[in-house]
Amino acid sequence: MIGLCLSDPHPDRAGDGSPIRTLSAARFAGRYRLVDFMLSNMVNSKIFTIGMILNSHYQSLISHIGMGKEWDLARKSGGVTFFPPYHADERRSVNGELDGPLQRAAEFLTETTAKDEYLVLADSGVIYNMDYRTALEAHKRKKADVTAIYTKKNITPGERENTVVFNISDTGRVVAVEQAPPNADEINVSLGAYIMSKRCFIQLTAGEKNCGMLRFSRVLLASALERLNVMAYEFKGYSAHICSVETFYHYNLEILNIEKRKLLFDFEGRQISTNRKDSLPTKFGKNSDIKNSLIADGCQIYGTVVNSIICRNVKIAAGAVVKNSVLQDDTVVDKDARLDCIIADRGVVISENRNMMGYSSYPVYIERKRVI
Amino acid sequence: MITERKECIAMLLAGGRGSRLKMLTEHVAKPAVTFGGKYKIIDFPLTNCVHSGIDTVGVMTQYQPLLLHDYIGKGQHWDLDLLHGGVSILPPHSKPGSTAWYSGTANAVYQNQNFIETFAPEYVLVLAADHVYKMNYGTMLEYHKQVGAACTIAVIEVPLKDASRFGILNTDPSDRVVEFEEKPEHPKNNLASMGIYIFNWRVLRGYLNDDELNPESSHDFGKDVLPAMLRDGLDLYAYRFDGYWKDVGTDESLWQANMDLLDDLHLGFEDWHILSKSSGRPPHFISPTGSIKSALITEGCEIYGTVENSILSVGVVVEEGAIVRDSVIMENAHIGKNAIVEYCILDEEAVVPDNCVAGEPRERGKLNVYSRDTKFQPVSDERRSAL
Repeated sequence: MIGLCLSDPHPDRAGDGSPIRTLSAARFAGRYRLVDFMLSNMVNSKIFTIGMILNSHYQSLISHIGMGKEWDLARKSGGVTFFPPYHADERRSVNGELDGPLQRAAEFLTETTAKDEYLVLADSGVIYNMDYRTALEAHKRKKADVTAIYTKKNITPGERENTVVFNISDTGRVVAVEQAPPNADEINVSLGAYIMSKRCFIQLTAGEKNCGMLRFSRVLLASALERLNVMAYEFKGYSAHICSVETFYHYNLEILNIEKRKLLFDFEGRQISTNRKDSLPTKFGKNSDIKNSLIADGCQIYGTVVNSIICRNVKIAAGAVVKNSVLQDDTVVDKDARLDCIIADRGVVISENRNMMGYSSYPVYIERKRVI
Repeated sequence: MITERKECIAMLLAGGRGSRLKMLTEHVAKPAVTFGGKYKIIDFPLTNCVHSGIDTVGVMTQYQPLLLHDYIGKGQHWDLDLLHGGVSILPPHSKPGSTAWYSGTANAVYQNQNFIETFAPEYVLVLAADHVYKMNYGTMLEYHKQVGAACTIAVIEVPLKDASRFGILNTDPSDRVVEFEEKPEHPKNNLASMGIYIFNWRVLRGYLNDDELNPESSHDFGKDVLPAMLRDGLDLYAYRFDGYWKDVGTDESLWQANMDLLDDLHLGFEDWHILSKSSGRPPHFISPTGSIKSALITEGCEIYGTVENSILSVGVVVEEGAIVRDSVIMENAHIGKNAIVEYCILDEEAVVPDNCVAGEPRERGKLNVYSRDTKFQPVSDERRSAL
């Protein structure tokens, strides 16, 4: 099998200066990026040839992945290949045809990976811990054209818009691709992961220059449901669909739950890898007071931290109180500052005595390197 | 065959057991003992080499090398996986006419002459993996060239009362060595050798060959080779170092060096990033029942109990109601519910079951070290009420 990553561009929330990184590079659980889960899932499924279709703002994603060394993907055969757009409006390729990342990926699939018949299409915005090989077995057994991986769950209001829901027949066939209903329990939510043959993928995306996972599911796949045998495969583990500032916040804090954390980081013995920075261990001062928090290495904590996710190299001074917040790398919280329901992007500085508060359903996002 | 000429290469002596550490080096060589929660002692000399511009390091291993070899890998964690140079692991090996173990520090380098010759170096830096320190060997090399020494020995001033534990150098006002005394009973000086030497390779090669033929020799740099050079009137110079340098060769010193990190995490040297093979485990979690005062905690730890004035290594679990105080806990140790751990070093994978006790209060002054196989006793009522 080979892997191909399609992601959606970063959604903006009006008026708040949204994160400028592509979503795949957004941080999770203190030291991870969203893309780590997809890459780890693929490598744990013995997929070592991975293509990544890029949209925009992909600099930090490429820096993070590099040669893929941390995932055992720096290899002579296979590894990670990036397909960025060449130009704002992809002009003409050498042979005069319209060209785009998807075409180049298709060419890559047919030429460079001839021996692999099957393809996993995955979205790095959805995180879970899965071995795709079990889904591939089901795919072969049921002689499916496409296997759509889904999970049964409740969704938060923030992810409704970006959620793809499958209507599944008694025989397990996907009969419709739908929007999430307003108030429903336990719906069949797509994990944005599909298994199909390379040929099938190339046919489905013919004529597309570039597309995100939403378009693939809602338009390309939805219009082929009659023509193709699209079977559903249920994933029974933990999953988080991160598609907005609210969901970023919600799922980061949800991972404070130990059961969910185990399901994500140590499910059936599969580990999640990430880029390692060899930060110093985290140092706690004499008067630090920490409750229910996940704290990465390299931090220096002298104040109070409650119900929060603290990423690498964060400094929290004495007297400062951080509650219900996600502080990303290099955040500095000065003496006696107070934060509640805040997302601080990389390098934010909260000066002495500042007091900032959001609400759990409307966390305040502070853009990177902002000094408050 | 010369692959690529290097001006200076490092030879790292990593074959010793570190027998003064007893329990902690039963399964691993001393260079692979954990320090500061997420490092191994060997990270320090390797990091120093990389930051000093020395990109070729031969690591001579012998005692319990399995984990050490695995840890070093191809040197990728220190950016030492290079086309030319990088890390080479050099275990003792058989060759025509000999199947010898490394019989001493000098003999280990003697046996690897062929390795050194492939780089045709001008200088050879000989290092041990016994100490925690940050040092720029490049500056020392500059000094070595400037004074035109045959050998330069890094030295540090130690309190005179401790001087008899070290190799002591007596020097003239220009820091030229006039006498070398190994662990003198009545030290005349407090300049202790740090076990870091830079030699002119051509000179050293001659002395190693002579030393090998000497049946009286113990084949040790400090005891045999340096004194022989002095006797022959070669220029040996002392290079003074005044940064943090800590022996971690005994249980007490290992404990103390770990605790020093609580005072100064950077060991006095902020922009000298210690490179290491990080575990890649999730960040540590502190539960609503957990409490942490003055501690160093790293990846993969789960804290449900109380941790005070302690260093916790990767993957340590402290269950609810447990108390960890004044201790250094090695990787993946597990401390059960309501257990008490005080003033001790707990080895990797050690398990203190629920309601059991390890160590004694620090006031009693006895540091305990527990191996991974230790069976711990239940906490007595008296002990619990004394908390």
